[in-house]
Amino acid sequence: MFKKILIANRGEIACRVIKTARKMGIKTVAVYSEADKDAMHVDMADEAVCIGPAASKESYLVMDKIIAACKQTGAEAVHPGYGFLSENQEFSRTLEEQGIVFIGPKHYSVAAMGDKIASKKLAMEAKVNTIPGYNDAIGSPEQAVEIAKGIGYPVMIKASAGGGGKGLRVAFNDKEAFEGFSSCRNEARNSFGDDRVFIEKFVEEPRHIEIQVLGDAHGTVLYLNERECSIQRRHQKVIEEAPSPFIDPETRKKMGEQAVALAKAVKYQSAGTVEFVVGKDKSFYFLEMNTRLQVEHPVTELITGLDLVEQMIRVAAGEPLSIKQSDIGIHGWAMEARICAEDPYRNFLPSVGRLVRYLPPPEVPGEVRVDTGVFEGGEVSMYYDSMIAKLICHGTTRDQAIGRLREALNAFCIRGLSHNISFVSAVLAHPRFVSGKFTTAFIAEEYPTGFHNEDVVHDDPALLVAVAGAVNYLYHVRASRIVGQLPGHEYKIPGQWVVLFAEEEYPIAVRAIAGGHRVSYGDVDYDVLADWRFYDPVFRCTINGQPVTMQVERVGTRFRIHHWGVRAEVEVVSARGAELLKRMPKKAPPDLSKFLLSPMPGLLREVAVRQGQEVKAGEKLAVIEAMKMENVLKAEQDCVVEEILAKQGDSLAVDQPIVRFA
Amino acid sequence: MQEIIRQLDEKRAAARLGGGQKRIDSQHAKGKLTARERIELLLDAGSFEEWDMFKEHRCTDFGMDKDSVPGDGVVTGYGTINGRLAFVFSQDFTVFGGSLSEAHAEKICKIMDHAMKVGAPVIGLNDSGGARIQEGVASLGGYAEVFQRNVMASGVIPQISLIMGPCAGGAVYSPAMTDFIFMVKDSSYMFVTGPEVVKTVTHEEVTAEELGGAVTHNTKSGVADLGFENDVEALMLTRRLFNYLPLSNREKPPVRPTPDPADRIEMSLDTLVPDNPNKPYDMKELIVKTVDDGDFFELQPDHAKNIIIGFARMEGSTVGIVANQPLVLAGCLDIKSSIKAGRFVRFCDAFNIPVVTFVDVPGFMPGTAQEYGGIIKHGAKLLYAYAECTVPKVTVITRKAYGGAYDVMSSKHLRGDVNFAWPTAEIAVMGPKGAVEIIFREEKNDPEKIAARTEEYRQKFANPFIAGHRGYIDDVIMPHETRKRICRSLAMLKDKQLENPWRKHGNIPL
Repeated sequence: MFKKILIANRGEIACRVIKTARKMGIKTVAVYSEADKDAMHVDMADEAVCIGPAASKESYLVMDKIIAACKQTGAEAVHPGYGFLSENQEFSRTLEEQGIVFIGPKHYSVAAMGDKIASKKLAMEAKVNTIPGYNDAIGSPEQAVEIAKGIGYPVMIKASAGGGGKGLRVAFNDKEAFEGFSSCRNEARNSFGDDRVFIEKFVEEPRHIEIQVLGDAHGTVLYLNERECSIQRRHQKVIEEAPSPFIDPETRKKMGEQAVALAKAVKYQSAGTVEFVVGKDKSFYFLEMNTRLQVEHPVTELITGLDLVEQMIRVAAGEPLSIKQSDIGIHGWAMEARICAEDPYRNFLPSVGRLVRYLPPPEVPGEVRVDTGVFEGGEVSMYYDSMIAKLICHGTTRDQAIGRLREALNAFCIRGLSHNISFVSAVLAHPRFVSGKFTTAFIAEEYPTGFHNEDVVHDDPALLVAVAGAVNYLYHVRASRIVGQLPGHEYKIPGQWVVLFAEEEYPIAVRAIAGGHRVSYGDVDYDVLADWRFYDPVFRCTINGQPVTMQVERVGTRFRIHHWGVRAEVEVVSARGAELLKRMPKKAPPDLSKFLLSPMPGLLREVAVRQGQEVKAGEKLAVIEAMKMENVLKAEQDCVVEEILAKQGDSLAVDQPIVRFA
Repeated sequence: MQEIIRQLDEKRAAARLGGGQKRIDSQHAKGKLTARERIELLLDAGSFEEWDMFKEHRCTDFGMDKDSVPGDGVVTGYGTINGRLAFVFSQDFTVFGGSLSEAHAEKICKIMDHAMKVGAPVIGLNDSGGARIQEGVASLGGYAEVFQRNVMASGVIPQISLIMGPCAGGAVYSPAMTDFIFMVKDSSYMFVTGPEVVKTVTHEEVTAEELGGAVTHNTKSGVADLGFENDVEALMLTRRLFNYLPLSNREKPPVRPTPDPADRIEMSLDTLVPDNPNKPYDMKELIVKTVDDGDFFELQPDHAKNIIIGFARMEGSTVGIVANQPLVLAGCLDIKSSIKAGRFVRFCDAFNIPVVTFVDVPGFMPGTAQEYGGIIKHGAKLLYAYAECTVPKVTVITRKAYGGAYDVMSSKHLRGDVNFAWPTAEIAVMGPKGAVEIIFREEKNDPEKIAARTEEYRQKFANPFIAGHRGYIDDVIMPHETRKRICRSLAMLKDKQLENPWRKHGNIPL
């Protein structure tokens, strides 16, 4: 076994690999860019080597620097994580030439699977189901139409080098096939410098389901069952689970065996993933093979009990797999949410900055796992992926796994930058998600105009009322303990209150009981038992014996409560206060559609319009520089500039108006 | 007897109705509560003791003898806020537009005199059209009686003014002399001369809201300390402010036990100050993570944002917080921020509230606007306030403490009791770049030499140790232990005794 390995990655995956290496008694070397010098993976590793400036292409993507770091530290092997150099055949080959082991597949396997058209041909040869289609580059739009007719509409037109949603068209008729081919080819040429385009059957109600495979250097390849990854936003996975709620044992076996056949065909030795698209009739077709450890590998680990990183290291060291296909079962259900620094309320705009608060939920062996690469007081920079952590929960059933994940998300506290916790919580609560009947279009269909707080309906507002009632009472208990009160006329905390939330009034009675408070609403008593301190943003309690976790912040006269994806503004007032509050004018929030607002804090580099100017949709209005990146703000519709409210060089706060329109 | 009781009930009912249901409805239609509704929310339920409910004006001119309302447009008395005594007057806009008559003024003066005698704060809820014109000079006399009492009470009992309606002309000067002014957005305004006069005299067209609304006074002028969305919010948060204040200058600040441990550490503060000395960070994070329960009651949050002021508690006991804000104008001192913080420090000093100062200040703001505006005298106000201040003073330098601004910000030389520095502190006459350009002026054209000199200067002076050698800094502390160290310092200073020499009063550079 290796004595020392280097991890050519950063963030949560580097930390995750280090954990396993440490467990196996292997020393670890981290590499880091200048922007990451205080990062968590640097702190966790036994040694760390700086490999250059912040930009990945000058650090994490530079093979020579990583190889030099191996030599400098005497690392015998390199784990590439995912992304960066993980699927770079030149990297694995060069390492091999230098006598350093690449903890991953051999370069020829990577090469064989690297090209979409080539890999599809290989799959066909290995008798893997592939989507009916034409697997050679297509020469002309006319030819495209002919082929499309042959396959039968709808068809999908794809660029060979495409990815991330680029170079992809769906055509339902000849005209669309003709036009789709031309625009796809142009896009492919411009984006990837490779204009090969092919056509295939468009699978209806598609799901993205992938099979984890594991092979060793002795010819053994196993399949570790499937992962359901259909919950995607613009081809980025958001929630993954294992097993799939859609797959039956028979289909699983077929998919698994085909995946193994393909892996064997390329002499695959390491962990890899064969991606399939699965139609509504459970027909499945090969999409591609990812020759690396996937982000979502933990869900497989939780249902199989295997440590995939450990298996990769052992295989790379030449050990044969110690398990057989029949050893691999499905134990319970696992579900993962990706925690990203992005603002779901602003079209998932990446968010950068300081993690003023970062309190992931506590790990519970077998139930809650947190793979994180950041810490409170750390910085999320613009240079790398916005995913900062993964939260993975396990249960004996799917419902239990969902329940645990929702509970754990309630306790996941991030402040200082925007994050997607409310969004993933809302998805997990969505009836269609809970039913298991969804496709890869789930997010696009259910959140067609983006994500809005108003869209999320709390299942049980009484819980919010109970917690707000109890927290408010605690504040009044604290207030009642102040010294210097008039003897005999001390403050008596009222027992009757009114909770105001979402235009509703909830009259409650509150009194102290052993270990907490009894909040009575209507005929129901809620015994809220908690040992909470005011500075803790996470409120953990039991309500009538059931554990409940919410995040509570006091903001002015209100409580801002985060729970199950809902961001609730709750006010607790006396009965008289509620009565008088009704007399207060409802101030309409300013009509922000008339303004261009700064989407982020930054420096106003340019105002591209002047007062009175008529602007067409899509025209440039202003340029904001944030974190050294220029962001061009464009007009969303035709408009006339009424007033310029900020000038070049101003420091803008988020939501600060820049231009007012007529 | 029964008859008298019946009469009393009737009279009370009539007095409670103020200017009548129609005017009450009109008050509500403007989004405002009535004088009595406001008191109900401000004070503990059922604690209000009303005085002079039956007092009426004595004016007989212009038909006023036939038009009188018991109480005469102001509700006065006392009650409790979380059990602690407070005197209150609440002007009733439904009665003669809340205008101030001689009798109205007498009622206010009565509770102010009592408040002074027993040592308890006065909270004024202002909603008045101004002087009772029918009374002429008697009304003006009434104002002056109130002004005189405001001045006599200043520094003896806390005085809080809520502006919840119009407050114009001479009337503004009573709130102006109190300690805190809170305003309600869209329904209150304060100005010496209103929009019509402004238009006549200067031909400026301006609305009352723009001229003297809550937003104007909370951002531009700095006259107000806080602005609220509505009456209810204003009253609820006034209760919260009240909890921080001692009842009078005879008392120590109030203690409210907290479950927050004094030795709570905050590891994330170790990374608060960025590596790049020109990169800002949010000083409020340090404040919130340091004080009890994370509760910070900030004042003037939208005015002179380059300095932060407000109340918090350490181990249950009130402290005043003053902090430079590197996020705004790099945290430098200018006219507005000096005035803002200077007045706050003097309030704390007058009422025995220890001052905790967080320093990251690159100096005073340069420029003609500042010099012509009199930064010399205004900056001196903050210096004067800190130097005169005898309450416990604990200072933490987080990063820059340059030049005269270092001296000003509660330095050892101004009788700072405990002065800490974080390891990132740079205490020097100026930043390395500026210093090198002066000391090594002749090497100015040699960038390499200048770079080397700058590095040399940085090594030598851009740290807390030179100040430490001289004892200007008592200790260099780790950021994560800031709360613990401040708590211990304040505990040690609890019985601090220090008196300034006797004098009639000092001559602060006004």
